[in-house]
Parts: sequence; structure tokens; C-alpha cells
Amino acid sequence: MSVSRRLETFVAFSAEVTAFTPTEVWGTGLTQRYLDTVDGVVGTAMTDALLNAFDRITTQSAGERTAKLRQTVFGCEQLGPVARAVVKLWYIGTWYALPAAWQERFGPAAQDGTFVPTPDAYVEGLLWSAIGAHPPGAKAQGFGSWQFPPGIPKF
Amino acid sequence: MSEPAQYDVVIVGAGIAGALVAKRLTTAGLKVLVLEAGPDTTRSIADYTSHLETFYAASAKGAESPWPPAEAAPQPDGGDLFKDKSLPANSGYFIQNGPHLYGSTYTRTLGGSTLHWLGVSLRMLPEDFEMGSRFGLARDWPIRYDMLSPYYEQAEHEMGVSADVVDQRYLGLRFSESYDYPMHRVPPSYSDRVLGAAVNGMRVMVGEDSVSVQVRSYPAARNSIPRGSYQPVGALDVDADGNARRSFLGERCEGNTACTPICPVQAKYNANKSLAQADRRHLTLRAQAVASDILIDKSGHAVSGIRYKRYDDPGSIQHTEEIATGRIYILAAHAVENARLMLVSGLQSQSKKVGCGLMDHPALYVWGLAPFNVGSFRGPQSSSGIEDFRAGRFRTRHAAFRFDIGNDGWHATTGAPDATVNDAVLKQKLVGQRLRSHLEDQLPRQVRFSLAVEQLPNLKNRVTVDPSNRDKLGNPRPVIDYEIDDYTFKGMIAARKVALAVFRQAGITDCSSNAVELPFPVAEYEGEKFYYHGMGHCAGTHAMGDNAETSVVDEYQRSWEHPNLYLIGSGSFTTMGTSNPTLTLAALALRTADHIIARMRKHNPGIEPGPRRRKETQRVNPG
Ligand SMILES: Cc1cc2nc3c(=O)[nH]c(=O)nc-3n(C[C@H](O)[C@H](O)[C@H](O)COP(=O)(O)OP(=O)(O)OC[C@H]3O[C@@H](n4cnc5c(N)ncnc54)[C@H](O)[C@@H]3O)c2cc1C
Ligand code: SF4
Repeated sequence: MSVSRRLETFVAFSAEVTAFTPTEVWGTGLTQRYLDTVDGVVGTAMTDALLNAFDRITTQSAGERTAKLRQTVFGCEQLGPVARAVVKLWYIGTWYALPAAWQERFGPAAQDGTFVPTPDAYVEGLLWSAIGAHPPGAKAQGFGSWQFPPGIPKF
Repeated sequence: MSEPAQYDVVIVGAGIAGALVAKRLTTAGLKVLVLEAGPDTTRSIADYTSHLETFYAASAKGAESPWPPAEAAPQPDGGDLFKDKSLPANSGYFIQNGPHLYGSTYTRTLGGSTLHWLGVSLRMLPEDFEMGSRFGLARDWPIRYDMLSPYYEQAEHEMGVSADVVDQRYLGLRFSESYDYPMHRVPPSYSDRVLGAAVNGMRVMVGEDSVSVQVRSYPAARNSIPRGSYQPVGALDVDADGNARRSFLGERCEGNTACTPICPVQAKYNANKSLAQADRRHLTLRAQAVASDILIDKSGHAVSGIRYKRYDDPGSIQHTEEIATGRIYILAAHAVENARLMLVSGLQSQSKKVGCGLMDHPALYVWGLAPFNVGSFRGPQSSSGIEDFRAGRFRTRHAAFRFDIGNDGWHATTGAPDATVNDAVLKQKLVGQRLRSHLEDQLPRQVRFSLAVEQLPNLKNRVTVDPSNRDKLGNPRPVIDYEIDDYTFKGMIAARKVALAVFRQAGITDCSSNAVELPFPVAEYEGEKFYYHGMGHCAGTHAMGDNAETSVVDEYQRSWEHPNLYLIGSGSFTTMGTSNPTLTLAALALRTADHIIARMRKHNPGIEPGPRRRKETQRVNPG
């Protein structure tokens, strides 16, 4: 995969597993940073395995993609925990250390641990807009906004 | 003393207590030195922003996360509580002897613990000053509510407290005629309103009393819409020379939901705002200066100096030792540090009560799921409380309590929303659309109450020092003995019962009663486990009273034994009541400042009579 194709596939995969649009994913400004994070933790070979597995199913229907993802990615002992860590990374902005069992079998992943890749990661967590809120300490909604009924954006 | 004193007044600690006194004394023309243990990294927008980035980047976002301490001035951290499983717990800054863990923390950086406080600014109730005569418990304060009331008003203006007096007249709280807070109340959250609509007026039995419940907006030191000509103080931007630049940031609360641990725009009060209003011609601020002991003159009574260790680099313990001298000395280093400084200096006081009577508001969380979306995770972390159980005849038998009603979901209790996401992804194996829908459904329904329970001064609960256990700079660390007693446990039981009744009435599903293995200190009482947390309300370590036999300081927070020494802050509290302590300690500090000005004036009529008047420096002759 070319460098740009790799990033595009990562974005498409991220959009699929978070249920946000690729535009929203790009909009965080963190795509390359997160791809580097994954590469840094599990190595490019394993990241490629994940991206290739997704690339093979991109042309299928949404329902088929979900089923295939469950089988080949989330159901896979090696790729599943990595893919789940990517989901959490997008939602909250924190990379959560891979499970000890994964480390034993497929590790060592040298740079693994629980960490925030960059201060922006916290601020750009996708979760907040999903629940009509904002990350504490950033993107405040304005004086008095909290007294009104909440609004959750439709997707 | 032969050498003339360098300053009129030497203050140890630039937290809210020290800053308010420094402002008032310098405005009256007194020459003041403030020694501050922590670094001066909180007064320019650039520096402040780097603390915000530290918070963003922290994977554990506890109260201290934006404010890492200097090597030379360590501080307790919430995380310390779980490093050691057995007692004495010795791995943090405190050495904890137990039997229960003392859960509260404070910050040693310029500005002190108001950097990360929540801003709840309730007054104590009139009856809180009279626990001895009304309930036969502990002792009465040497002052009464009405004596402090004018100073409450001044403190509310100094700190910028937002509230409407009409909401705050309950359980005997009274205000002077035509008084109102400097700013209108912070708008209560949508969830407060929904909860209020469901439960206001419901009745709950506590002992023999039937109590009516009301969800009530609490006074908060967060900028809201000003009343009259009041000018809210927003973010500070002080340059290296101490000049303040005008900044428009933070003149209103924006709803950042982060008062604790850091308000990004400084719409919430912090002590640096008061310090910036001191008269700079008379103020010397020395940061990175850790007071290490108090020197006493030959008479054995008067303080002759404060020895301190000054370091250049917050990452190193390289330091030089110096002595500051003044005519009057004020310890404003907060309850634990004030006591620690007295004890390392061998100043036990005649009553032998320095350090004894340590209190807090040990608090329980109760949390649940509302029947529909109430918009959690928006607005200040809380904006209302339930105050109706702060007073009552039951106080002869058990502790009083108040509830803080969270707007931040289960953040404080389970670590939501991160924990909710983790749980959904790892345990429930959700991803994609199903994950998003699940989070959308759960998170905005999360409700949390904090039940803060009163604690009485028990002399066995105390701060001591052990010379063989020192911090890196060589200062003995605080040793803490702490036990929650029956009075408080019974209060906890009553508080939990009331909270669950409120939940039932509102249709909120309780998710807390069966929770186990929570990341909080735990205590057992009558076979039941209580997971509790500290509120940061350290108090009682140099309690005030009306004689030297039973107390450490008098009604002006002046040491009985050392006529030129004052110990200020919540350490002076005789009892605790249920209100968060800072407004009260601020009012006491202002009262002490006026007392010191009057006292100095007697000896030197050149000193300005009161606050808020300016004139060229009047040199005060050292006595
Ligand atoms: C998480 C949290 C939330 C809180 N929320 C609230 C709330 O909502 N409402 C409320 O009323 N209270 C609240 N509090 C409590 C509040 O923060 C304190 O009551 C208040 O800040 C105490 O003020 P102070 O000036 O006495 O001490 P501090 O603010 O702690 O200031 C003491 C200063 O002295 C300095 N110092 C310490 N030792 C030395 C030394 N040896 N030499 C020189 N300087 C020294 C410190 O660095 C610090 O700057 C909260 C506390 C915490 C931890
Ligand atoms: S809610 Fe936000 S803007 Fe308002 S005071 Fe708290 S942190 Fe500051």
C-alpha cells in the first residue's frame, strides 16, 4: 500500500468502526498522528495486516462489512484487541494498553501502555459530539447553555 | 531584638487565605512579604495554558493532574491512597497511620488549592457555630454567625460569588437588608431542573423530623451576570515584572465542566486574582521559598523569624537557606502544613492541641440512571445541591449532611465516560453504530450525588511529624492519624437513605448500592462497607477557642502563646458544619486582616485605617 492509500484506508476503517463519517474523522486533524501511534505500538506489519483485512471488504454492502469485520478483525485474537484499542482511541483520545494475554502471545509491543498521544487527542475525542456534550476543559458550549434541554446530533 | 525587621508582616503561603490578607494589608500601607513554596507558574496566560496542556495530556485526570508539584514542595495526591494496601501507608507525601485513610489533598503551587477547587461557596449555618450549647457536642466557636456575617459579604465580593439571596435564606441563614451577591446565580443545569420538578416538596423522615426536600442552586465562585456595577475578574495575565495585562477571558463561566481540576478560562475564582489586586508598592512575593521552621526569640514567646529554603529549579532540590523577619507573622499554608510547621519548630502550644482535631467531609457517592436523557456532561460539574439536611434535631445523634448534584455523569464515581466506553468496547464487545447508540443512550442519563457528611473534632485525629521521615528537601513529612467515628457513620447511613429515596421519587435507577471494589478508601461500620472520598476540606488542626487551655488560637486566629503569630485558614475551625470551608476561611482571614491593621495602627497612626484606600507608602517603624 502506498503511504497515502494507507492513510485513506485507516480513515475508512476508523469511520466504519466508530460510526462517524470520514469527513468527521479527517476533521479531528489527528489521522496521521493516530496511524503513527498504532504503527508505533504494534509495528507497521501488524497495522498493515489490519488495514489489508479491511481493504478486502470495502466494496461490500454495509451489512456484509459488519459481518466480515466481526469475523476477520474483531474475532481475530491478534487483530481484535488492536482494532478495539483504535476504537477507544478515536472515542476518548487515550490509547489503552493492550491486554496482558495479547502481550504474551503477540508481543512485545515496545511502546504499549496507557497514554494520550497528544493533548489535542483528548480535545478531539469523538465521543463528546456523539452525546451532545464537550470534553471537560475544552470546547465549552457557552454561558448558560447547560440550562437548556440537550440535543444529540442525528447521524 | 536588635536587627530591625525587614517587613511589617511575613505571610507563609499564597493561597486564598494569604492572598486576601496580603491584599488588605498592603492596601493599608503595610509592607508585606509573602513566602510561597510552589513555583510562580500560574499568573500569565502562557504559563496557565501549559498547565491546561498538562491536564489534556494526562491519562489519569485527577484533581492534581494539571498541577504537578516541584521536587522541593511535594503534595498529597489522590493516587497515593492506593499505592500502599497496608498501614501505615507511606508511599505518597503523607504517612498515614489509619485506621482510616485521610482522603483529602491540596496543591502547593502559587495560588494554592483554589487552582483546583470546585468553587462551592456556602456560608456556615448560624447553628454550626454553636454545636456545644445546642447539641452538647464539641465546643462553640468563640464567634457567632452574626459577627462573621459582614465578612461573609466582603468575602463574597472579593471572590466573586454568584447566587441570589432569595434562594439562600434557609435553616436560619440571614443576610443584611438589601444585600445581594455580586453576581446573579449561575444558571442551574437542565438536569437540576428536571430533578427539581420531580422531587421538590417530597418529604423524608430523618429521626423524628419530616424534612421537605428542595433542589437548590448553590452560591458558586464562578463568574456569572454581574449585579449593578460589579466587575467580574476574569483570567489573569501577569508578566514577569508583575504587571497585569488586561484580559477579557473568563468574565463569564462558559460551562467547561472542569472547575476541578482546572478552569481553562479562569471564570472560576483562584487566589492569584486577589494577589494581583494587592498594592504592589508594598508587596514582595517570593515564590519557590519553602518555609521550614519558625524561630522564637529569647523571651520564648515572640516569633523572631521564619527560616525558608529557596530553590531555583522546580526539578531540583538545590537550595539556599534564608531567614525572613517581620513584626507580625502569619501562617497561611493550609491546615496540614500550618500544623506541620508549628510542630517541626517545637511549638506545641500550652493546650498541646496543635495538629489535633483534624477534620474533613468524608463523602459518599450515590449514582444511577435517569429514566430519560437529562443532558449530563454539560455545564459546571455541579450547580445545585440539596441543603435541607444541614440542620435538624437529629444532630444530637448523628452528623448532618448535604448533597452536591453532579452535572458530570459518573465521571467522579466510575471514571465515566472513559470507563463507560471501555466497558462497552471490551466487555460488551460493541463497535460501530451499536457502540455509538449505546453511549448516546447511557451517558446523558448518568446522575451522581455526592453526599458530604459532617465530622466532629476528635483529638485523636491529628497531624504529627516524625523527624526520621523527611521529604527530599529535608522537611519532615506530615504523619496522619485518622478515624471516622460513629457520629459520622450514622450520618452516612442517614444520608444514603435520603439519597436513595430521592432517586426512587425521580425514577432514577440506583447503580451504586451493589458496586464493589471501588477505587476509594473504604471503612466498615456495623458490617457495612462505606467507600468514601475526601472533599479537600482539611480543617481543625489549630482550632480557635476562648482560652489557651482548650484551643490554639483566639477569635482573631492569633496564637495564644506567641503574640505576633497568627495561624489562618480552615485549621482554625472549631467545628466543621456541612459547608465547604473556603468562604468561611476567607471571611475569617479578612477579619484577621482588619484586626492586624487596627493593632498596628495603635502603635503607628500612619497606617491607613481600612481597606480600599490608597496613599503613598508610610514606612512603619519596626517596634
Ligand atoms: C478537589 C478539591 C475541591 C475543592 N472544592 C472546594 C469547594 O468547592 N468549596 C470550598 O469551599 N472548598 C473547596 N476545596 C477546599 C479549598 O481548596 C481549600 O479550602 C482552600 O483552597 C484553602 O485555602 P488556603 O489558602 O488556606 O490554603 P491553600 O489554598 O492550600 O494555599 C496554601 C498555600 O501555601 C503554600 N505553602 C504550603 N506549605 C508552605 C510552606 N512550607 N512554605 C511556603 N508556602 C507553603 C502552598 O503552596 C499554597 O500556595 C476543594 C479542595 C480540593 C482538593
Ligand atoms: S464550568 Fe467551566 S468555565 Fe465555568 S467555572 Fe467551571 S471550568 Fe470555568
